[in-house]
Amino acid sequence: MSEPILVAENLTKWFPVKRLVSQVLRGERTWVRAVDGVSFSINKGEIFGLVGESGCGKTTTGKLIMKLLEITDGHLHLNGEDVTHVRGRALAKHRRSVQMIFQDPYSSMNPRFTIRDVLMEPLEIHKVGKDMKERNAWVSEILNEVKLSPPEEFLVRHPHMLSGGQRQRAATARTLMLNPSVIVADEPVSMIDLSTRAEILHMMRQLQRELGLTYIYITHDLSTARYFADRLAVMYLGKIIEMGPAGTVIDRCLHPYTQALIGAVCEPVSGKVNQIKDVPIKGEIPAATNIPPGCRFHPRCLYAVNECWENVEPKLVDIGGGHMVACRRHEEIERIGAAARTSEASLGLRRSTRIS
Amino acid sequence: MKGARFDQLRTFWGEFRRVKFGLVGIGLLVVFALIVLLAPLLSPFTQADQRWRDMTYWLDSPREARPMWVNWFTSKKYATTETIAAASTIETVTGSMRILEMEFPYQYTAGRPPNDLVLKMGITGRTSYELLIQRPDGKQMSYRGSTVVDGAQVLRLSVVETLASRVYAVLAPSEDPKFAASKDPQQIDPMGAMFGKAQPGIFTTPENVKGTYTVKLKLALISPESKLDSAVINIMGGVSGLLGTDGAKRDLWSGVIAGTKWALLLGLLTSLISVVVGVVYGVASGYFGGWIDALMNRIYEVFTSIPLLPILIVMSAVFKPSIWIMILIMCVFFWTGPVKTVRSIALQIKENAYIEAARGLGASHGRILFRHMVPQLVPFAFASMALSVPGAIVFEATISLIGLGDATVVTWGQILRDAFGSGAVLKGVWWWVVPPGIAIAVMGMTFAFIGFAMDTILNPKLKTR
Repeated sequence: MSEPILVAENLTKWFPVKRLVSQVLRGERTWVRAVDGVSFSINKGEIFGLVGESGCGKTTTGKLIMKLLEITDGHLHLNGEDVTHVRGRALAKHRRSVQMIFQDPYSSMNPRFTIRDVLMEPLEIHKVGKDMKERNAWVSEILNEVKLSPPEEFLVRHPHMLSGGQRQRAATARTLMLNPSVIVADEPVSMIDLSTRAEILHMMRQLQRELGLTYIYITHDLSTARYFADRLAVMYLGKIIEMGPAGTVIDRCLHPYTQALIGAVCEPVSGKVNQIKDVPIKGEIPAATNIPPGCRFHPRCLYAVNECWENVEPKLVDIGGGHMVACRRHEEIERIGAAARTSEASLGLRRSTRIS
Repeated sequence: MKGARFDQLRTFWGEFRRVKFGLVGIGLLVVFALIVLLAPLLSPFTQADQRWRDMTYWLDSPREARPMWVNWFTSKKYATTETIAAASTIETVTGSMRILEMEFPYQYTAGRPPNDLVLKMGITGRTSYELLIQRPDGKQMSYRGSTVVDGAQVLRLSVVETLASRVYAVLAPSEDPKFAASKDPQQIDPMGAMFGKAQPGIFTTPENVKGTYTVKLKLALISPESKLDSAVINIMGGVSGLLGTDGAKRDLWSGVIAGTKWALLLGLLTSLISVVVGVVYGVASGYFGGWIDALMNRIYEVFTSIPLLPILIVMSAVFKPSIWIMILIMCVFFWTGPVKTVRSIALQIKENAYIEAARGLGASHGRILFRHMVPQLVPFAFASMALSVPGAIVFEATISLIGLGDATVVTWGQILRDAFGSGAVLKGVWWWVVPPGIAIAVMGMTFAFIGFAMDTILNPKLKTR
């Protein structure tokens, strides 16, 4: 294993909620606890997947890493340097080494810019390249890298003249312009046609190998996460509740929430297409202003017992092989799960209900 | 890149062409632009702009003459402006003096007398002269005078100003004696009497007499170096120029033409500066948000709640009234116009991922504001610029009208102010009031049309199928 490139310690982001005058006078404050103490360490050349449903704080985490948002508490280290509260030149340096691919390729590029303008912008901002010739050469090289060739044809186009996949390639090209070491990819393929998803992911992976990049792959889509990421962290209400090698987390998940997420994935396998699975979860995700006491998942958990909400929140514990889980009852669940897997194999589609 | 911009322009023009009143606006704007460019060709008084307040520039024009096209609509034609040269000159020498005798025949055929009859002569050295006007009926009135100055000078002997009492004295015997005795010589209309039939009523309801009126000039050149440089009779017509003349003999057509330049300059400059400031202010307010936005909003509210007119009046009283200070003050208050709309548009643009992407790349606030946000507001800015031009022009006119404008330039407002100042409306001098008024209205309409047309195209909510 190589050395860690990005380390987050207890990373926290609380957003203040607008208060009424009476609340201000009484000194009351409420917070949206979007990211509530997240710790992880990403190694160089790794693809780290961050999964969870919308509103769980995964995008906010990405923006904290990008330093697009001010970190409320905790620490962030990049290449061993503390970048938690960097400003000015140090921030500019951070911006050069950490780049982001945005979810929506339709709005992540200024519609008035040509692809050339889009790609030139990072060079202009950081004053990279001696002259126009050098910059142009660099732009062409990167466009070839993301398989937008011939570059001359794409340079003069506006974003709306490209397909979704081409746009995401151009967006990727923009992140590569400054030779970053870490790329935060926030749902890079979720708005792209299924047919081109694999192509984009394949290109990203190829780039990662060639340029030695580190990705933080933020997604709600477990299937691409499994395909793309080396390691996965599952977030729920601003906290990581399970983390480990991608295969282990998907196949041998222990946290009830992870199980629910995996259970919700549709499988386009013949015979299973028209089935909606019985998701082993109840209720709605609570508001991030009012996080339940004890284990924050207990109101929705089928396995919750008194100790889950009477005690303090469970910590992430390593249960071997880098697989970490934050659940008091993970051992019991593992036993139940093992039993269920055997019985499911024997009973076939016991946990599925047929619809129309 | 250029091609795409050009395409956008062409699409815009394609849509613009379909809005009829927009085309009318563009047409009028072209007309105004041509008027400004061709002002020296269009205006008979090429220095009207620089010498509008210079009384000596306008001496050879009639006072309060009607527009010349008034004659097309009346059977009793007004006399037109004419210059009559000497028909004959006789020079005799008596001792050391030379005497020049000149005759200027004026064929009077109009239905109404001219506004004035002026002998204009350029004289060098000491002279003595006698002016004599002979009517067709043989009655004549004369005036004697002399010059004592050695250098060259130009003399104007006007019937209205110099010979009025002579006209009265000569014609009073013909008038009803009772009336003639009670009438003050200063109150008669000397031109009406001079060209009127010698019968009772000549001072009140003169009957027009056509024929040849001869002006005779007898000039004695006293000293050896004395000489006559030029001598002409100027008939100051009852009609003059395309739009007549005002109470200070100025040609109103030249004034309206000269005013076009100032109206365009004032309107465009004010709206350009105020819209640029307003757009940048609104974008910054929306982009930064938080307490900066709150503060900027309060400042905006302060400016919108101050009434502009009283401020302008006070400012004009404090500073020397100058068109530039007026433009500045208007900018200080007009910039608030587009702020609210721009701010709300900026709030929308701000939410786009590319703004966040630019921040992620390390772009400065200035770069995001001016490279990413402001360019999107350019079409809106043009529309609101066009719409705020009429306001500036009308404001200038208002300020001028209450007498606080810049009197050194010719604006339509200044012309109106002079008209009101000399009671043009009460005297019925409509041609002094109506043309500048129409000009202001048409100029306002021009920009309003263009602005509305752009608004129709750029504001999707106003689009109709």
